[in-house]
Amino acid sequence: MEVVQIQRTLMDYTKSLFMEGLLDSQFLQLQQLQDESNPDFVVEVVSLFFDDSEKLLNELTIALDQPSVDFKKVDSYVHQLKGSSSSIGAQRVKNACVAFRNFCQVQNIEGCLTCLQQVKQEYYLVKNKLETLFRLEQQIVTSGGSIPMIEMGF
Amino acid sequence: MELMKSDNIVPDRQPRQEEIMQQQKQQEEEEERRFHVLAVDDSVIDRKLLEKLLKAFSCQVTCLESGEKALEYLGLLHNSATAASSSQSQQHQGLKVNLIMTDFSMPGTSGYDLLKRVKGSYWKDVPVVVMSSENVPSRISMCLEGGAEEFMLKPLQLSDVHKIQARILKSLPQS
Repeated sequence: MEVVQIQRTLMDYTKSLFMEGLLDSQFLQLQQLQDESNPDFVVEVVSLFFDDSEKLLNELTIALDQPSVDFKKVDSYVHQLKGSSSSIGAQRVKNACVAFRNFCQVQNIEGCLTCLQQVKQEYYLVKNKLETLFRLEQQIVTSGGSIPMIEMGF
Repeated sequence: MELMKSDNIVPDRQPRQEEIMQQQKQQEEEEERRFHVLAVDDSVIDRKLLEKLLKAFSCQVTCLESGEKALEYLGLLHNSATAASSSQSQQHQGLKVNLIMTDFSMPGTSGYDLLKRVKGSYWKDVPVVVMSSENVPSRISMCLEGGAEEFMLKPLQLSDVHKIQARILKSLPQS
């Protein structure tokens, strides 16, 4: 496939992620910070997010499985996940965390379990999409092309 | 520049040695002139992000993962409030900090705790910016009243860092 074609695919793909609300402008900020001195910055930060999130989702699953749920602990994990998803622009994960915290505050276990499922779904969805995005970028780079910067009208 | 016209040493070797030493001195002075920021946050993602944001403005950045680590770095961990100021300044010799940026919610020593400790210490004139992902008015006023330079909402952007740096540079005494 020609580099120009892959570049076009990447542009369309990235735009769709914004249109679907999976990513917000914070992701653009990350891309803006990437430069020659740190050409893998976005991948590095997002990888940290993946590792961190999977750890938190594990902890949440365990915490909600306890005979007596410690809602304060659960809330603290969700707060962390909300923060990190917000920092990388994973908008739908962040929004799912906001809903989750509301149920923590009123100590509603059913609500929390539903929210956990929701957060997991959103997380794995955005993870999948970002991995595809990075693969497309890699294809462009190895074909000798440069990664086009997205202009969004925010 | 101090070009010494000495009359007793081999003329060939000396100028080059002086040049190298001068270059080294210049490099050290440049390092010292760079704005040194302490970035305190328990989130590894936010630390990395903050570090990059600050480096985009040519700051020298020291990342610390907790309030305790920040206090330790500043030499405030084991000092009691009544420690003699002379012994404190001995500890701080050579350490320069131009700005502290700290997250509010951290386990153990919070950003607010750090702010209060800093403002009651040798470092009281160092501006402290508190960051939080939550927009809680009472939290904001508490921090500002506690001496925070600014309270910023996460996630931070380049424009936020630019704003702080511009303000702080402006308020520095002209040397």
